[in-house]
Amino acid sequence: MGLFDSKNINISAEGETESDIKNREAMELVLDDLPALIFSVGSSTTTTTTVNDDISWDDWPSPHLNWSHEDFHPFFAAAAGDHYFATPPHNIQNQSSSTSSTTTTPEDDPTPPTKFPVESDKTQRLLHLLTAVAEALSGDLNGQYLARVILIRLKELLSTDNAGSGIERLTNHFTEALDALLDGDATFPRRSESNQFPYRHYPAAEVLTAFQLLQDMSPIASFGHLTANQAIIEAVAGERRVHIVDYDIAEGIQWASLIQAMVSRNDGLPPPHLKITAVTNSRRRSASAAKETGRRLSDFAASLGQPFSFRLCRLDQQKRFQPAAVKVVKGEPVVVNCVLCPGQVGYGHGSVTSVGSFLLGAVALRARLVTLIEEDIGAAAGDEKGSFLRRFMIELERYMAIWESLEAGFPKQGRVREMVERVILGPRIIGAVRRAYGCEPMAEECGEWMAAAGFARVELSFFNLCQARLLLGIFNDGYKVEDDASNKLLLSWKSRRLLSASVWTIPTRMSPSPSPSLAI
Amino acid sequence: MFSSKKPTMNSHERPPMCVQGDSGLVLTTDPKPRLRWTVELHDRFVDAVAQLGGPDKATPKTIMRVMGVKGLTLYHLKSHLQKFRLGKQPHKEFNDHSKDALEMQRNAASSSGIMSRTMNDRNVQITEALRMQKEVQRRLHEQLEVQKHLQMRIEAQGKYMQSILEKAYQTLAGEGAMTATGSYKDLQNQATMNLGAMAFPSLQDLHLFNNDQLEISPQLDRPLEDFFPSNETLCLGKKRPNPYSYSNGKSPLIWSDELKLQEFGSHEENLKNNIDHEHLQIAPSIINGGMEMESMADVYEAKPLMLSVDSNGEKYEGSSKVGRPSTPRRATVSTPERMSPMIRGGGLGQTRNLSYA
Repeated sequence: MGLFDSKNINISAEGETESDIKNREAMELVLDDLPALIFSVGSSTTTTTTVNDDISWDDWPSPHLNWSHEDFHPFFAAAAGDHYFATPPHNIQNQSSSTSSTTTTPEDDPTPPTKFPVESDKTQRLLHLLTAVAEALSGDLNGQYLARVILIRLKELLSTDNAGSGIERLTNHFTEALDALLDGDATFPRRSESNQFPYRHYPAAEVLTAFQLLQDMSPIASFGHLTANQAIIEAVAGERRVHIVDYDIAEGIQWASLIQAMVSRNDGLPPPHLKITAVTNSRRRSASAAKETGRRLSDFAASLGQPFSFRLCRLDQQKRFQPAAVKVVKGEPVVVNCVLCPGQVGYGHGSVTSVGSFLLGAVALRARLVTLIEEDIGAAAGDEKGSFLRRFMIELERYMAIWESLEAGFPKQGRVREMVERVILGPRIIGAVRRAYGCEPMAEECGEWMAAAGFARVELSFFNLCQARLLLGIFNDGYKVEDDASNKLLLSWKSRRLLSASVWTIPTRMSPSPSPSLAI
Repeated sequence: MFSSKKPTMNSHERPPMCVQGDSGLVLTTDPKPRLRWTVELHDRFVDAVAQLGGPDKATPKTIMRVMGVKGLTLYHLKSHLQKFRLGKQPHKEFNDHSKDALEMQRNAASSSGIMSRTMNDRNVQITEALRMQKEVQRRLHEQLEVQKHLQMRIEAQGKYMQSILEKAYQTLAGEGAMTATGSYKDLQNQATMNLGAMAFPSLQDLHLFNNDQLEISPQLDRPLEDFFPSNETLCLGKKRPNPYSYSNGKSPLIWSDELKLQEFGSHEENLKNNIDHEHLQIAPSIINGGMEMESMADVYEAKPLMLSVDSNGEKYEGSSKVGRPSTPRRATVSTPERMSPMIRGGGLGQTRNLSYA
């Protein structure tokens, strides 16, 4: 296994440098999983390095790039002429001596979570570059400069591929996301406040069509909704009224199946009156979108004969949830529904404190049930240093898994997948990368936080588990659902955890006082 | 009472006579001795596989080593592992339940064996066994219920999606009429009409294993042909029925691999592949006289957005801004009939339809 000697960089004006060729040959790594290669130009004594052929998640050395290292000077100098830049220098070290806690693997199993076929050198290169950008941005301010340089190179490599391979498309989206990050960002560190993503907006019809396709192709679209809804149905059995407070109603798709389930309850009673209060942020757009959703749900409910009403509830200026803003009828059970899809387009409010305030608001509302659907983050929060890189890799992994799952299920429908990727997943990636970059330290999953905050777990029924398994049965074999805790179902693709749906309730002794916040 | 060599009541086969060899393996006595995977042997197999990290990681060779059973060859293990892998996912839970039921039955049998000695009452044994079987059936029935409900819920989702899609396209068309150029308008009108006819595909036939009376055969129709070129059809469905599960007497839900297809005009070639699993099949919309539809794929492949107008009526948060202008494409899209999800002229694979209504 060859090695890349940074001193051999022969920067020429055109074509592949000899280091390129060497590098390419050197990169005949038989990687059939995510490249867990971290570039470290660490010690100045290493002019030659050995390569660990079996780089796996287990030995993920902490990245430390010494930017002032002499090896980098040529690159800074050559930044103007971007085509000089072949691939970043990297000495792949066997095992970095000083590893931070980021070496804790995201998964317990020793094999990498996704087996994504790394098809070619080009693919490897793309992924390496991507990682390099993330790494650059994890460092200090100077990193942005290098990041931009690498991004230029990336875009070059990708420019011809509009319909490239899966990984190429994936890389394209992540490149776009990183680009958007840098473009939208004047200062560092950055607060992800604005919802105005500087990327193209698709017409609603296109988005909805793509979402419908996604529903057909993957359980990730329906899994959370169905699980939460079933838990809700069970919790409010026999009631005459139900009041659901929904954090992010979006298009209201979740409630279609709930409405249906309510009218077809076979307990002999007429369906209960369903009231949904949608939480919106203070912007007018958000409210009008929610109102429209409410209209559509009303129409739908009417078509099925389900008594239905709809309300809005605004977050305050700091995007905090104010329980008092919700009109609760005495005696009606309140269900608090929280679907967190951080990268989703239109995800208006989702800052950690906002979500935290919402979940705590459930206590004030004396909610009977709290349903939570969120993306699985993986290992516990790491330390600050390199945290963007870490979170970035987690997102990269996640979307790799999703890409792979779609491809596995529908290998011949490349165009369809491309559309779904572009319209639905791409924006999510942009949002996810933004969030990963946000100043907030990596919050633990809401589920864990809720357990810590005192919420009680509500055990999921056999029906629910069975339903989830049946749902997965429609799709490709690679999906698995498991009960992670008594109140939580976890959807994963080939051991890569994707989504979790958990159900909670307020223990009677819990008082609506502020609890430790989600953000540290 | 129940010899371990004899098949249990739950077994669905009528197996041939078996003998137990020296190695502990049970072989059949027909002319060509075949290995019989007894429950014990299978348990050892499962343990070994688990030790090795799951069916995907284990290989016949390693399993053989771990199990350490004499007389077990690679061939035995290869085929058993394959069946195991195939059978593991979809009916795993049923496996568990049925296994529990098996356990219960065997326990009941043995305990009633003891009882019979003391009480000498045959009826007790039978009652016990019947009770166990009822339990199993109850579980199966529950699963059926879940399945029915799930299907209705998914359909409801689809209906709702369809309705909001229609509205979105109506909005599109409305705006388009206001500000777009002539060619845009055409496109949008076509788009509205085509996509307005979209229906969400329902689940495929669900055939409960050996309970054929329970066929829920929903519709599959999805005239998304408009969007994508005709060679790219999607078929919702799963693999063919699981052979392993049959032989085990377990009863998973098996998805029929007969997929419903629409045969319209010039799109027959798509349908040849319909048995192909895991393809999401989208039925093309009705084409007038087989007129070729220029697919919306053209629209999408160039990554354009159809409209250059700004929207004020778009309701989708955050994405409602219509994007950059794109080159207008003249889509000679035929006008399909407005289709109701239920009705299909001819070409329907299955006769039983579950209508949306």
